[in-house]
This record gives sequence, C-alpha cells and structure tokens, in this order.
Amino acid sequence: MKIRFLSVLIALLCVLILPDTKFRSYAAEKPIRITVATDATWPPMEMIDENKNIVGFDIDFMNAVASEAGLEVKYKNTAWDGIFAGIAAGKYDAIVSSVTILEERKETMDFSIPYISAGQILVVPKHVQGIEALTDFADGAKVGAQIGTISAFEIKKMEILELKAYDDIGLAFEDMAVGRIDGVVCDTAVASNFALKREEYKEKFKIVGKPFTEEHYGIVVRKGNTRLLNLINNGIRAVQEKGIDKELEEKWLK
Amino acid sequence: MAQIIRDPQKNFHNPDIAGVRAASGKKDSRRVTAWGIAFTGAVAAVAYLVIFKRDPYLAIFKFLPDGIAVTFQVTVSAVLLALIIGLCTGLARISENKIIHLTASVYVEVIRGIPLLVQLFYIYFALGRIINIPAMASAVIAMAICYGAYMGEIFRAGIQAVPKGQMEAARSLGMTSVQAMRHVILPQAVKTILPPLGNEFVALLKDSSLVSILAVSDLLRRGREFAAESFTYFETYTMVALLYLIITLLFSRLTGIMEERINAGK
Repeated sequence: MKIRFLSVLIALLCVLILPDTKFRSYAAEKPIRITVATDATWPPMEMIDENKNIVGFDIDFMNAVASEAGLEVKYKNTAWDGIFAGIAAGKYDAIVSSVTILEERKETMDFSIPYISAGQILVVPKHVQGIEALTDFADGAKVGAQIGTISAFEIKKMEILELKAYDDIGLAFEDMAVGRIDGVVCDTAVASNFALKREEYKEKFKIVGKPFTEEHYGIVVRKGNTRLLNLINNGIRAVQEKGIDKELEEKWLK
Repeated sequence: MAQIIRDPQKNFHNPDIAGVRAASGKKDSRRVTAWGIAFTGAVAAVAYLVIFKRDPYLAIFKFLPDGIAVTFQVTVSAVLLALIIGLCTGLARISENKIIHLTASVYVEVIRGIPLLVQLFYIYFALGRIINIPAMASAVIAMAICYGAYMGEIFRAGIQAVPKGQMEAARSLGMTSVQAMRHVILPQAVKTILPPLGNEFVALLKDSSLVSILAVSDLLRRGREFAAESFTYFETYTMVALLYLIITLLFSRLTGIMEERINAGK
C-alpha cells in the first residue's frame, strides 16, 4: 500500500516537474523560440488586460522585434523583485519590462541597445502645494516606489525621506489615495497613466516638476547569451528603421 | 488542533503520544541535541559568513538589523493581542449564552477560512478605503485577528480538557463560575494550553514575514530590498533564512523553558 502510494506520488511529481525542464532544455538549444519575462504591473508599458492577456508598449515592441528577428515569443508574468534572479537561473531567455540600462546591472546581465527613453517623476496628491521635487519634502516624509526600481534608489538617496517599497506600483498609488504616503516616484509613462488617465485617480493626483533622471530602457538577456542578444539588437534596429516604434509610442504613450 | 491538546496524564499511558510529548519535555535529551545542533549551526554559519566572506555578507548583515527589530515588534504585539482575543474567544466558545457562543464560533470559522495573506491585503487595502490604519497597525491587527481564532480553539480545548468534576467541586465550595474559572480551571488548563500555544507563537513569528507586502520594513522586506539592489539573491536569502532560523529557535526554546517551569511547579 505504502509503495503504491509512493509511486503515485513520484509519478505525480514527474508530471508536475518534467514539462518545465523539457521546455527549458529545448529553449536553450533553439533560441528561436524564447520565453520572455515581464512584470505586468507597470501600465502602460506592461500590464494585464481584462482578458488576462499581457499587453502594453513593451509587449507590442517585443513582438515587433521578434517578427523582425524571426523569434517566437512566449511571455511569462514575473514579480519584479526576483525577475533578474530568474534570468540568471535560466528560467527565461529575456526580460522586457521597462528595464533601465544601468552599469551596476550590466555586471550580472546583458542589455540590448536602448529602445526608448524615460525618466523618473514625482506624483503627489492634488491638494498638496509647494512640492515640486523630492527635495521639497519635509523631514521624514514617506515616499513610495516599487521595490528594486530606480525610483526606489532615487528616494533612498534622499536621506531625509522614508522609502516605502511596494511589490507593485499600483499598491503605492492606492496607499497615496488613502493618504498613508506623501508621494510616489515612478517612470514618466506610468505616472501619466495613473495620475492623468485613470478615472479613480485623476481627481486625486497630480504630476509635479520635471523628470529628474534620464534613462534608457533595454531588453535584458542572460549574461553571455550573445547569439540571442545579436538577434534582438538587429530586430530593434529594423523596428526603428521602419518607424514601428514611433507608431507604438503613438498608440500607448500619447 | 485538538489532537495535540491532550491531558499529559492520559498521554502517559499511550506510548505513541507519550513519545511525542517526551520530545518536548526536559527528560528527553534528543530534542536538546537537535535544537543545539540547529542553533549552533545557524549561529556558526552566520558568524563564518560575516567574518570570512565579508563581501557581500557583512553588508547584508549590516543592512538587516532594523528589519529584525520590526519583525520582533510585529510578532510580540500580535502575540499579546492574539492572546487576549484568543482567551476571550475560547471562553465565548464554551459559553452557555447562545449569542456569545455563536458569535465566537462564526468568527473562528470565518477567520480560519481566509488565508492570512488575503486578510492582510483586506485590512490594509480594502478597508483602507474606509478607515486609514497605518501599515504597522494593520499588520498587527490582521495577524492578531487571524491567530486569535486559532488560539481561541486552543484555549477552548485546553479548558475542556480539565475534568468536569473540577468545576463542579469548585462550585460546590461556593465559588461563582467566574471565580472557579479563574482560580481552578484556567491554572490547570494552562499546562495543556502552553505547548500548542508555543507552536502558535513560532508560527506567528514566521508568518510575520507576510507583512512585508504592506511595505512594512521587516526582516524579509529588508532582505528583498537588498537583493533587488545588489542582485546577490543567493547570499541575501541565505542570510535572511539563517536569521529567521535563529530567532524561531530562540522563541521555541523560550516556550520550552516556560513549559518546564510550569510543569516543575506541579
């Protein structure tokens, strides 16, 4: 009885674990079919629509790159903190998730050529006056951002502020709507999506000041995966030459 | 829960359960060794990593202490609040007043049926639209409400494990039922209640890592912040795991000592 139970258990384990490993080794041999991770909590760059599909500027852009480069892409929604650990561990082949190209990050991963520029910007409640930048806050003000993002790093640099690091940016905005935090820092595109376009937040928030960083987003591949990197870079160049990126900016970011 | 709350006297005659109980008693040396190995091992591992693998372990070690403090703060406040809620629930569950009994029973059923993570989100974000509770307070309240329900069952079972005759005897001596509960039943119930309660403390301590989703900077959150910035996932989570292990081992030893004290006073 015990043996039977054990063998059933083992069989069950195999069924659950094997498909994943099989897929991974297959993907490693033929990078033509790739899995791309994205943290779909970053509208309008990447998000989940009402039909549970991952959509957004990054997704459309990646699809355009893929069709230029002859890749077949499967997306995997992945939490932001840990998204870089996943690529190092080989859980997917690339990341397209508004990843800013940073020198520190280059040590552990490879970046494609930049595909769009952005900056960090501050969002505060509408009734607040006299705050134009992080330096205008009083000592001990609480400012929210997503964990592990440039926004969080920028807040942390300001020693007088208390950083509230959230799992996703939506939680930070919700907390500010309730009045628990004094400001939220995020990318310009995301800020305008939350503060200008959303019905429930439009009346509550405003964007203040100018973007205070200048950043470029890149597609991430595993360190040393030059073959895929070259394919993606060529794809990005082709997309930019055809002007598809401008169309997509018009579609998602205007 | 009920199967671990048994009268120690009765268990003595049941070899299986007696063995389980002995494992948490002072006469048995096996647990002390296992605890000792785990504890010294964890402390030695932390010391080794911090001293000999300074980069990046020393930086991680310096980054985490305020997270440990927050974890302690959440756990201790939640435990105290949960004890009060638990005792009230336990008493209400054996109450003869139907309304009180039913209210407590519904509370236990509802809370035990909702995952703690969902309760945390609910109290912080869903109720946040109505009342503004600070992150720390909602974390403590959510954990206390959740664990209060479990502890209520422990209290109830512990009180019911005291032979009925004790209550009858106390009442026949002229005590009111409140007096009898306070001076006769509860002191006896504590002996059966304490071991499972100790387990709940340790479980609560570990579950306190869930509050990191509310942007409360506990040990896990600090670790995640460090890892997300430095990409040293392996090193950071190794350190976080070891520190949690050390804290839970200390807590379980503490409840062990309390048990011994109470049993010695028998």
